[in-house]
Amino acid sequence: MKSRYRIALAGNPNCGKTCIFNALTGARQHVGNYPGVTVESKHGFFELNGYEIELIDLPGVYSLSSSSPEEEVVFQELTKPGIDLILNVVDSSIPRRSLYLTTQLAELHIPMVLAFNMADDARKKGLKFDIAKLEKYFGSPIVQTVGCKADGIKPLLKTLGTALENLETHGVPMLSYGADIDDAINAISEKIDALDLTQYKHIPARFFAIKLLEHDTAAMQLKEFEPVHSEVEEQICHLLDKHAIEADTFMADRRYAMLSGACRDTITMTGERRREISDKIDMVMTNKYLGLPLFFLIIYLTFYFTFICADPLMGYIEEFFGWLGECVCRVWSPETLPYLRSMVTDGIIGGVGGVLVFLPNILFLFFAIAILEESGYMSRAAFVMDGIMRKFGLQGRSFVPLVLGFGCTVPAIMATRVIESERDRKVTIMVLPLFSCSARLPIYALIIPAFFPLKYQATMMWVIYVIGVAVALIGVRIMKNTLFKGEGEVYLMELPPYRMPTLKSLLLHMWDRGRMYLQKAGTIILATSIILYICNTLPEKQVFSQDYDKMASAISAKLESTPESNKAAVEKLEEELAVVENAKQAEMLEYTISGRIGHLAEPLFRPIGFDWKLATASIGALAAKEVFVSQLGILFAEGETDEESVPLREQLAKNYTRLQGFCIMLFCLLSIPCLATLAIIRRELNSTKLALAEAAGLFVLAYVTTLIVYQLGMLLGIGV
Amino acid sequence: MTEKKCSCCCGGKKTENGKCAKEVSLAELPVGATARIVKVMPKARGRKKLADVGLVAGTELLMEAHAPFGGLIRVRVLETSMALHSEEAANIVIQPEEKGE
Repeated sequence: MKSRYRIALAGNPNCGKTCIFNALTGARQHVGNYPGVTVESKHGFFELNGYEIELIDLPGVYSLSSSSPEEEVVFQELTKPGIDLILNVVDSSIPRRSLYLTTQLAELHIPMVLAFNMADDARKKGLKFDIAKLEKYFGSPIVQTVGCKADGIKPLLKTLGTALENLETHGVPMLSYGADIDDAINAISEKIDALDLTQYKHIPARFFAIKLLEHDTAAMQLKEFEPVHSEVEEQICHLLDKHAIEADTFMADRRYAMLSGACRDTITMTGERRREISDKIDMVMTNKYLGLPLFFLIIYLTFYFTFICADPLMGYIEEFFGWLGECVCRVWSPETLPYLRSMVTDGIIGGVGGVLVFLPNILFLFFAIAILEESGYMSRAAFVMDGIMRKFGLQGRSFVPLVLGFGCTVPAIMATRVIESERDRKVTIMVLPLFSCSARLPIYALIIPAFFPLKYQATMMWVIYVIGVAVALIGVRIMKNTLFKGEGEVYLMELPPYRMPTLKSLLLHMWDRGRMYLQKAGTIILATSIILYICNTLPEKQVFSQDYDKMASAISAKLESTPESNKAAVEKLEEELAVVENAKQAEMLEYTISGRIGHLAEPLFRPIGFDWKLATASIGALAAKEVFVSQLGILFAEGETDEESVPLREQLAKNYTRLQGFCIMLFCLLSIPCLATLAIIRRELNSTKLALAEAAGLFVLAYVTTLIVYQLGMLLGIGV
Repeated sequence: MTEKKCSCCCGGKKTENGKCAKEVSLAELPVGATARIVKVMPKARGRKKLADVGLVAGTELLMEAHAPFGGLIRVRVLETSMALHSEEAANIVIQPEEKGE
């Protein structure tokens, strides 16, 4: 006997699989990605009769064909050795549909347990099951469950326990495709058996024979079966000639026929079918005229919840990190390891704190998205929005992530998981950084008033946002015609009945995403904070062009001797002091690695109208776009700056032309928002190559666009 | 005797057994009407995918809704609502059924 078993959890989308998974494993879950695709992989663990059980939550699929990345993943996971048992969750309120997958799973001859889930819905519909007959038919024990209320979980565990004890003696399904097809299957099976393939010993040849017969792409690609391909073609021709059966869909046809027969024998309908409440809600929600306004209202409420309700919590987190920094400063005297001290307080606590501030946003947002998804509204939203989004080459489900992109690109990219089509998901992720996030807002708020008269300011802001969206939509078109060329998958989306989400699953969903964000904050953002801190502080300049310290102490002395009642004089002196200190800081920054890189990069940036100061600020902006403003503030020796700083604006207006001002915004808009975005792109696309290509692509895009605008502007003398 | 018009609004005529004689594509089925699938055209993209969700010859379906701004339609098949594009639906040949039982 083994002490550890692997159970695969399979079922249709929306069959309540996640509820069963959560009920069995609790919070002991691990979320990741399958290699090479953006399909999410979820594992959970629990103990049963002293055995350690690993539960693998396979993506929800209707079939074991390979017509989507999800189905391919399920096919590969199940044909790999090492699965001891399949737990198939069946929505028993719609048995004819959900048992379709079961017929295919049964052909794998892996021991199986069926959870007839949503037993309450089935009862309400008046469905009665002859469980004993059904068990015999599928060769698997059946347990009735209501996953979301955790009903029937105990009997399910008991049945799983018994099934694990008797793995060798599991039942055999009584599935037949009819004499004509079974003959073809047997002929191919014999050929496969003759191949004697060791790596597929655990799966009956019949399973592969069926898959090959229906020209399943994943099965056809398996090199091992190439010797039998001629036999397969022969059998297909034979079926078509002799019985006028068409190759690719007859299996589905027969399976449904088989199920109809089985259901007639084993399931009785009593009572009347009620018109479901769900349909009534949909009369309003997906109404031709009301659907869109309602959708926009719901999205508005989601954002309100995300940004307004989370706001007080963000304040607390900010205060906490401020307090933490102070505490460290107090305990750690400035004499011991001064570099490390300021790195910990300014770099690490400041950097990580700056990111953790967004944690409430993330949690609230994903709580709201979980409600939309689990209640079933998300697919309605996609249904309603699809017509508009399709005009731009995307699909309905892309809308919510794209709008979120105006807030922060990181959660927006995480939210693309709601997009089912792999291609559309990748394209959406790739163009999302072009949707101007709120961290770029301080840059516009600084630049626009510095260079543009009041009456054009709003228009300029609008122009910048529109440029971002326009470039993104052009990007979609280009990518769909090159990188992601070809016809998309056939669009088929289920609109499941509305259900009341359970708090437990909402919290788990929220925690999943929150944890992902925390992990990121703890690794990549920590690292980049440290690196950028080092770049911005080292090497330290010792000899300055002027003796700033002396000047500062002279002013301080004057300040002390000035009576506090002379407010005007005090203010003037304080200002002078700030100017001196900032002049020193500016010299220090120029001396650091960032400053040197800025100088080095100046020739590269010169053609787009940037001097070394702007180049240095752009490098700092890799940590977070708003850092661009504070970096400029230091470089122009204005001390603590924010976008409201009038003197900095004056400085900018003095040093740069209007055209340069516009180019600054353009470059910031189009280049990669921050390293955190890059990290999340890498994670979600599951590919370092694509993430680096994205960063490089955005840089080239930003550079070339700004170059053209700047050079054209110079040539035509606009804004110079 | 006046010719009986088919009540399913397909514009076809009734045959003797009361069935609608005209075969139309799923994309043309009006909201609220039921139909039975006659065949899925061999050239149809994603035939297998459609078949896997029950869109095979002989299945009954109900047209539930059209999405705003065109494109998507929503049909009920095997007690599940499925949204698909009218381009794909155009390849599904159906026979509309009489309304009212």
